[in-house]
Amino acid sequence: MNGWTLAGTSFLASAVEAVEALTIVLAVGVATSWRTALRATVFALLVLAVIVAAFGPLLHFIPINALKLIVGIVLTLFGLSWLRKAIQRYAGRKMLKDEAAAYDREVAALRAVEKAQAEKIGFITAFKGVLLEGLEVALIVVTFGVGSTLALGWSAAGAAAAVVLVALAGVALKSPASRVPENTMKFVVGVMLTSFGTFWTGEGLGVAWFDADLSLLLLALFYFAVSGVLVAVARAPRTVRA
Amino acid sequence: MNLRAIWQFIAGDSRRAPVAVVLAIIVALVLVRTNPASAIAGLAFACIVALGLAAAVFERT
Repeated sequence: MNGWTLAGTSFLASAVEAVEALTIVLAVGVATSWRTALRATVFALLVLAVIVAAFGPLLHFIPINALKLIVGIVLTLFGLSWLRKAIQRYAGRKMLKDEAAAYDREVAALRAVEKAQAEKIGFITAFKGVLLEGLEVALIVVTFGVGSTLALGWSAAGAAAAVVLVALAGVALKSPASRVPENTMKFVVGVMLTSFGTFWTGEGLGVAWFDADLSLLLLALFYFAVSGVLVAVARAPRTVRA
Repeated sequence: MNLRAIWQFIAGDSRRAPVAVVLAIIVALVLVRTNPASAIAGLAFACIVALGLAAAVFERT
């Protein structure tokens, strides 16, 4: 494999992992705060840099499937919880947040506590997501660059280009993402988190997915369709307070 | 950090959705052991999770 082919292959494989990490960071940014998401990302990248510097050639021994299983289960539960609320709001079984001002005032104090907890858990979620995907990128670099130092250089260059490109896309997406109505955002992010969670849990369990990362798209379409049907079926004749 | 608060934040107040996830894991694990090359385990996992979501949407909490 020549240098450019090597870099291109590493670029594509790393881009897929970087997009997965970006999705989680965007979800945490919307759910908690952008500051939390960014802090977790930077912290995860620092930890990743230390791991790669210290253990570089030993990366193959990290139990990546066990990590995927744990993170996958958490993401599936997290995604289902968001999706459930978003479906109930669309169906009129729960009030939309901007319509529940009085209720919001009653629980304002409680929310302050919840917000602090949410920021901590948001941090952990983004941290784990970036660290796990970062480890996968590192594994890709090491796998493709195993032949020689030159090959490792091409492989690392391809991966770095992918990560930078996806990070720039993330910065561009941040503002539009903030303007999307909250329930729509929670619905979409819920579908995405449930899809990622399903995919990773499956990988952790040893499931042979239909077509590797393409199954992520199929899972997202499946959950989107199921959720759409549930909104229609669950539509209540009158609105019930959350 | 309060474990109950962490659980509540991750899984929400539904009891049915986490049960469905546990069930999906058990079924997928059995199917993977039976036929490791088949994608049926993944399909079963996603379908059980979707059923859990449906059950959770109609759950009173």
